[in-house]
Amino acid sequence: MHIPDGYVDLPIAAVFAIIAGVTLAIAARRSGDRLEGSQAPLVGVTAAGIFAAQMLNWPLPIPGGTSAHFVGGAFAGIVLGPHLGVLAMSAVVVVQALLFGDGGLTVLGANVFNMAIVEVYVGYAIFRIGRRWNDVGAAFVAGWVAAGAGAIGVAVQLGVSSAFNYELLTVLVIMGGGHAVLGVVEGVITAIVYQAVIRSRPDILPSATREVAV
Amino acid sequence: MSIREYWTHPWGRRVLLVLVVLALLAPVFGAASERVGYTEPLEVAAEETGASGSADPVTSTPLAEYSVPGLPAPLGTLASALLGSAIVLVSMLALSRLLARGQ
Repeated sequence: MHIPDGYVDLPIAAVFAIIAGVTLAIAARRSGDRLEGSQAPLVGVTAAGIFAAQMLNWPLPIPGGTSAHFVGGAFAGIVLGPHLGVLAMSAVVVVQALLFGDGGLTVLGANVFNMAIVEVYVGYAIFRIGRRWNDVGAAFVAGWVAAGAGAIGVAVQLGVSSAFNYELLTVLVIMGGGHAVLGVVEGVITAIVYQAVIRSRPDILPSATREVAV
Repeated sequence: MSIREYWTHPWGRRVLLVLVVLALLAPVFGAASERVGYTEPLEVAAEETGASGSADPVTSTPLAEYSVPGLPAPLGTLASALLGSAIVLVSMLALSRLLARGQ
């Protein structure tokens, strides 16, 4: 889901860079409401865990997309709350782009928008709504839908760009359809890891203390 | 709980162990996905619309594609996973402390 340089027209990339920058500034301001110094390790290990988990490319025999990796946006939102989740995911995306060339520099804002902003906020919102019925099920749906939402963000940015011949519908079908299937893996991993956290340290979740204003 | 207490706590150590295990698994998953022909929907969409040749990196990095020059691919992937995780961990620790202090 990491867009390389050259795929998105520069004006579009610039718009998403501004949106991402403003959102990160807001997230940094609001995350302070819940952040205490003692929570810094949790933020660090969650972000590092997501980075490491993203390196596991799951081989899947699916036509049109034979491999998938965990993105982790919904998980970050659930475990850290939305604003800290956005910051943690952004750190992952930035390190991937700058250090490993995974995702372009000119489209860094677009990649942050898709994977760190859309996925985290959508995933957190779905989890927050669904957990009153079943929290593990809500974590699964959050992971699944968030992956699809991020993919649709990518599809729109690519589909209105010249490199993709403005074939928005084609890109939407391939990205949306592909990630609707691959997102199941995201949902399953999100639910499993969420359950593991709930069993070992339920006190660290934002829901254990208070709701986080979005 | 201070940062030092966190790492000496059994739960903190277990989390670090999970990070190392994930990094060790990265080369295994990399090899497995190579065998099935690694393709993401983004690449499929690029091929379908003729955009494949448009990728044009504006910067270069010696660690591109999670490889390390001079190391075999599996070791390069492992080193990248460890290095990347460590950098993300340290940078988020620092940012979190900074944000917490700013409140």
